[in-house]
Amino acid sequence: MNRKAYGILLVITFLAVGFLTSCSSNSTPLIIPTTPFAFYLSGQDALPAGSGNVNFYALAGAVTITPTGKVTAGEQDYNDANSANGGVTSPEPGGDLITGGSLTVDSTTGQGTLTLITNNPALGVNGTETLGVQFVNDDHALITQFDGSATSSGSLDLQTLPSTPSGGFAFTLAGVDPDLDPVAIGGVFSIGGSGTIDINDDGSVLTGTAFTPVLSTPDAFGRGTISGVTVPGGTIAVNYYIVGAEAVRIIDVDATDSLVGSAFGQGTNATAATNASLSGSVLAISNGSNGYGSEFGALGQFATNSTPTPATFTGVGDSNELDNGVLSGLASSISGTYSIAANGYGSLTIGGLGDITALQVYLTDPALNISDPNNTSGGGGGLVLDLDDSLAGGLGVLIPQTDTTSTDFNGNYAAGWQNFNYFTECGDCESDMVAQGSMASGGALSLTGLVSDPFETLTAGAITETGATFTGTPAADPNNAGRFSMLSANENELTTVIGTSEWSSWDVVMYQASAGQLFWLNYDDTDTSVFLGPLEQQPSSLTLPAAIGPVAKPQTRQKP
Amino acid sequence: MRFNRFTKPIRMIAGLLASLLFAILAIPLGAQPVPESHHYYDIAKEVTVVGTVSKVLVKASPGMIVGSHLLLSTTSGSLDASLGRFGLRGKGALSVAPGQQVVVTGVSKLLRGRQVFVARTVRVGSHVYFVRNTHGIPVSPQSRAVAGQNWAQKGESL
Repeated sequence: MNRKAYGILLVITFLAVGFLTSCSSNSTPLIIPTTPFAFYLSGQDALPAGSGNVNFYALAGAVTITPTGKVTAGEQDYNDANSANGGVTSPEPGGDLITGGSLTVDSTTGQGTLTLITNNPALGVNGTETLGVQFVNDDHALITQFDGSATSSGSLDLQTLPSTPSGGFAFTLAGVDPDLDPVAIGGVFSIGGSGTIDINDDGSVLTGTAFTPVLSTPDAFGRGTISGVTVPGGTIAVNYYIVGAEAVRIIDVDATDSLVGSAFGQGTNATAATNASLSGSVLAISNGSNGYGSEFGALGQFATNSTPTPATFTGVGDSNELDNGVLSGLASSISGTYSIAANGYGSLTIGGLGDITALQVYLTDPALNISDPNNTSGGGGGLVLDLDDSLAGGLGVLIPQTDTTSTDFNGNYAAGWQNFNYFTECGDCESDMVAQGSMASGGALSLTGLVSDPFETLTAGAITETGATFTGTPAADPNNAGRFSMLSANENELTTVIGTSEWSSWDVVMYQASAGQLFWLNYDDTDTSVFLGPLEQQPSSLTLPAAIGPVAKPQTRQKP
Repeated sequence: MRFNRFTKPIRMIAGLLASLLFAILAIPLGAQPVPESHHYYDIAKEVTVVGTVSKVLVKASPGMIVGSHLLLSTTSGSLDASLGRFGLRGKGALSVAPGQQVVVTGVSKLLRGRQVFVARTVRVGSHVYFVRNTHGIPVSPQSRAVAGQNWAQKGESL
């Protein structure tokens, strides 16, 4: 036997032994199990680095992660609709490949980072994106881009794959049109059938246009295309990522326009909705065009009366329209009428909430939690599109208000906000936070988290901050159960410590849909800032992938 | 570019006709009354004023609404003209200095307890700068560049 043949025999023997060993009952599996997650975000990027650009951007994708936190693979679509000026739209139809990375999470708080190594060197830092993650539970995290190249707010959710969406869906997206002006669209459709689409494009509104979307078969990551998304003047190229059979993230992948959003199953509201299907709710709405158009945020709560035609509602709300220069009164009385068709498509007219007067409503499955689609509780509500011409780009949600007992706001919470401000010369520039901490029943709220501020609007000394603190004592509104406030007028404002930032005091109102879900709004009477975001209750313990115990404090990233 | 704003008259008419056709033929089940919105910028109340620039503010002073402002001296007194976020910023931004005469078109509004002239256009000499669209939405530098100031195509008029 010559030397070469001996070598080949050795290799064959080695492989055979390895194969037989792997087949034995006590063997270690050769395939490492992974958990699939879908993510989406939107915010502002600063690409290309050093350009001074402040672009709207959207990002959606899917990754697989091992129990030890290794990112094994994934795909994503990134789009800032500004590639003509050095921005980035992922190459289609393939998008960007995610070839590696890691998830590092504190097992106690659920806070950490997810790095994604992509094959697109124009993104993140030399092709690697870092997301700040704040897990609410094992299946769902609030996220923000956290690498200084961009900042944003979004969600990371466990995927159920394969899943086959079917039946009726409600959807909304927001972003910028080919003129980089604010645009938002929404509507309802049935898988395999047709639907109705509404649009508010830079203040020009058109409702009730028929369209016929067609979903391609998704790939192994749950990614596919949606064709037939027609709006006046043309068609939008759209990709989707499956979260589950009733939740899909959707992103516009055209090079000159960019939108991102979600589609949710409607369940019984696809065929049997009535005015009674919209119950008392919390309304949360803001500009989804991220600094393009007029930045605003608003919260409200109302009770419905479905007996008259049209149905009516009454409640209270708070609105902060930063760029319009409009601030509603605190706990402003709101009222109006609404109408819901059998397919869950409806409209709502409001008085008392600033310039927010006309909304389209798309009801979702009463059993589906649209903030956390894997959560079996907290279902119902719907999506909202703002038709007001000066608030183009406005999107929101309606969440059933099922618990207004103030003392039930208690326990551990994950929180986030998307802030736009005029603190510096960079007007309407964005910073974001995700955080976690405790709320004492009837007492203090204490959160610690991550702040992303690539445009240095907070002058915190760094563009990514860890260990930022957010403390205050939400005061229950004695006249409006479910509403809280933290206001400087009451010497009770929210206090923050974000690096060396001088911005340490925020007037805030909060609305409680349930003990599990609240929203907070920066009610700013100095007319320099607005934020809106969620607070979501955490379970008593987390069993996360990559939960490797308390994480050493990462370093803040200084501006290069 | 895959879709265009539909304010171009021909496309808008086509879109409306198509919508009407669909409404007649296809969607009785989903037919809903469209809520009537209130207009932040009511173009029916638009007026034009002539004034001399007394101050150019890139950033709002305390008490003003956010964004850039021109303080003007007019025959009827001083005027705070709000230019929005992008009025004095970015490529194609308004270029003006104290002492220059300008013609500003906009709507006067009471915002946060203060009378503000919400400007849509500013004419300096023969150059007209568009700082907001007809719905009162600030026009971004990118939008200015993409549109190439071809506002006639965007349904804009002086």
